[in-house]
Amino acid sequence: MPRVAGVDIPPQKRIDVSLRYIFGIGPTRAAEILRKANIDPSVRANKLSEEEVSRVASVIESDYVVEGQLRRQIQQNIARLREIRCYRGIRHIRGLPVRGQRTRTNARTRKGPKKTVAGKKGIKEMHRG
Amino acid sequence: MSRSLKKGPYVDEALFRKVQQARLSSSHLPIRTWSRACTIVPEFVGVHFEVHNGKTFVKVYVTEDMVGHKLGEFAPTRTFRAHTARQAAAK
Repeated sequence: MPRVAGVDIPPQKRIDVSLRYIFGIGPTRAAEILRKANIDPSVRANKLSEEEVSRVASVIESDYVVEGQLRRQIQQNIARLREIRCYRGIRHIRGLPVRGQRTRTNARTRKGPKKTVAGKKGIKEMHRG
Repeated sequence: MSRSLKKGPYVDEALFRKVQQARLSSSHLPIRTWSRACTIVPEFVGVHFEVHNGKTFVKVYVTEDMVGHKLGEFAPTRTFRAHTARQAAAK
């Protein structure tokens, strides 16, 4: 089983597909990397020679930020926004959408599960009764 | 859409002149401004501003990390309202 970029062990798929199991590599980058390493994207990952695997690995290492390092970079960018207390940072702190989406409805991905405010309907009914 | 690179960052000219003056005279008095759309350029680092949020002036001390952001990003225009635990229970 080939091993690229640290812990990642992409399985017996086409090499262009299996590279996408690495965090930070999608369809575009997978194609780019294989072009730079001069490898046919339709070959299965386990059919690559040792030398080809190391070629892929060296391309990724020299030109791309992936996995842990990328995750850290993202976290640092967010931490910077929080620290300078700019609008985007405040939205991150509050756990609300950052890019100007509506929050009157939806925004559940950021806000988490619905917290129902109890009694809104109930109070009206009590007044009537 | 982001701004055309050809134009360069938007910097309020009058404000920029004021900043330079303040730096020359090394005055630490805050600079009042309504120019929320003005980009923070490296010259602004270490200057105190008071940025209008539509109602009052919010104190903003510019640090190096803030370069490239706009002044308005540091002066929120809306009051954040949320239910506290007690409010929710009282209902």
